[in-house]
Amino acid sequence: MLFGIKNLRGVIPRSNSVCRIQQCRLKRSKAGLSPEAQKVVSQLSVLSAGRKMPRLIKLCNEDYVKHRTIMKAWSLERKNKIEQQKITLKKQYESMKKASEDLKFASPKLFTIANEHEYGKRFPLEIRIPTDYPPRQLWYYNYVPRQKK
Amino acid sequence: MSLAFIRPFSSSVIAQKVGCAMVKPVHHTIKIEKRLLSPRFPDLKLDPSDIRSPKFRPRLTQQDRVLDHYYNTLESDLLLIQYRHDQIDVEGNKRRKWDMSSPYHLNRPLRKPRGQIVPSPTIKTRTWKNIPRLENITINCFVKEAKIKPELAIAATLQLQQITGCKPSPVYAKANVPTWKLRPGMRMGARVSLSGSDASQFLTTLTEIVLPRIREFRGISNRSGDRYGNIAFGLRPEDIKVFPEIENNQDSWPKTFGMDITLHTSAQTDADARILLSGLGFPFTGGERVPKTLLNDLKIEDENVNDVVTKNSETRAEA
Repeated sequence: MLFGIKNLRGVIPRSNSVCRIQQCRLKRSKAGLSPEAQKVVSQLSVLSAGRKMPRLIKLCNEDYVKHRTIMKAWSLERKNKIEQQKITLKKQYESMKKASEDLKFASPKLFTIANEHEYGKRFPLEIRIPTDYPPRQLWYYNYVPRQKK
Repeated sequence: MSLAFIRPFSSSVIAQKVGCAMVKPVHHTIKIEKRLLSPRFPDLKLDPSDIRSPKFRPRLTQQDRVLDHYYNTLESDLLLIQYRHDQIDVEGNKRRKWDMSSPYHLNRPLRKPRGQIVPSPTIKTRTWKNIPRLENITINCFVKEAKIKPELAIAATLQLQQITGCKPSPVYAKANVPTWKLRPGMRMGARVSLSGSDASQFLTTLTEIVLPRIREFRGISNRSGDRYGNIAFGLRPEDIKVFPEIENNQDSWPKTFGMDITLHTSAQTDADARILLSGLGFPFTGGERVPKTLLNDLKIEDENVNDVVTKNSETRAEA
């Protein structure tokens, strides 16, 4: 907040002499600000974190134990899921390796073609990140992919 | 009587003997958190992940569909696309040793790598452990006019907050350029780093709402990137108006500010990062350049070498 006020010295007009004598800091009225300064003040108030902290939840002991049990169970489930994912990937990797090794002995020519790098390969532009609900139009039956030049 | 001879840690004073302590003074090296020792504020001893702690913030409050898409579809496909059999590590450009022609070379820090200042990392072979992921998104908004009108920097900060839903941190000028009236310490804009669900949320708005509606947008340039898997692109001030948060509140935004978006991935090269980002819905255009060192990353087999040698000898014989 301080930096803003410092930089805004030119924007916010200095209070008139009457106000300066009174030194009424607590009752500073916003009506005296110019519209531009008022806009900046409201922008700063949106940015500042004051009064945005939610209140601390007070849990009784039973609730706390329940919460901990649920969270522990959930974290275990997530951990198991991640481990399963890793095992699947490892299996895929090992079978790819094995298949390549076999192909190398079976047909070196096909192996060199299969083993070329694929830099520049892209997922199709039509790929969508799945949503909870299907789109209004499920399938574009007349769709023709754009031809590469 | 025996009490007098108990020697405390790391001192030989009480024993009244000359000599150094045999017990190493560990208490200097181990950091003690005093708040954990004090019985005064029990609330402050709680872990931030504990719900009773004042620092507690709920994480994983919603399903992350970008992450789900990555784990369900992209990860295994990326492994399939990027796997090469008999691949070897591509050694990066590292610091060089001195040739010891001078006695002053002894204990001198290593020479700079050839042609660059910072050594480049070694590119490891692709395995199931190092499949590229999107790590975080950094948005950087630097407003040139803020040096004359400092309130524009605040407006830019607010714009970032509205778009991302995260608190941006201010960016200050570093350089002193008198001709541009730029001095160090001037507030020039804002920057925000998104990760987790915030990053996914921003990514989906970008790829599903914003980028398709920008008329001139043809895709991220294939030349973009910092060589080590971070791709960046820019949005102009008029493109920002397409963001739903700005578009639905156009009266409050007479002026919008362009920004630079950096997509940080765990890919080791830009080419790998682009394949990943295309799966997340970013289009790419233009010609792509892949360094030659990356293309020749296969193990050379002894048999092939022998073949080459025999071929050479054959050609020589023919000649």
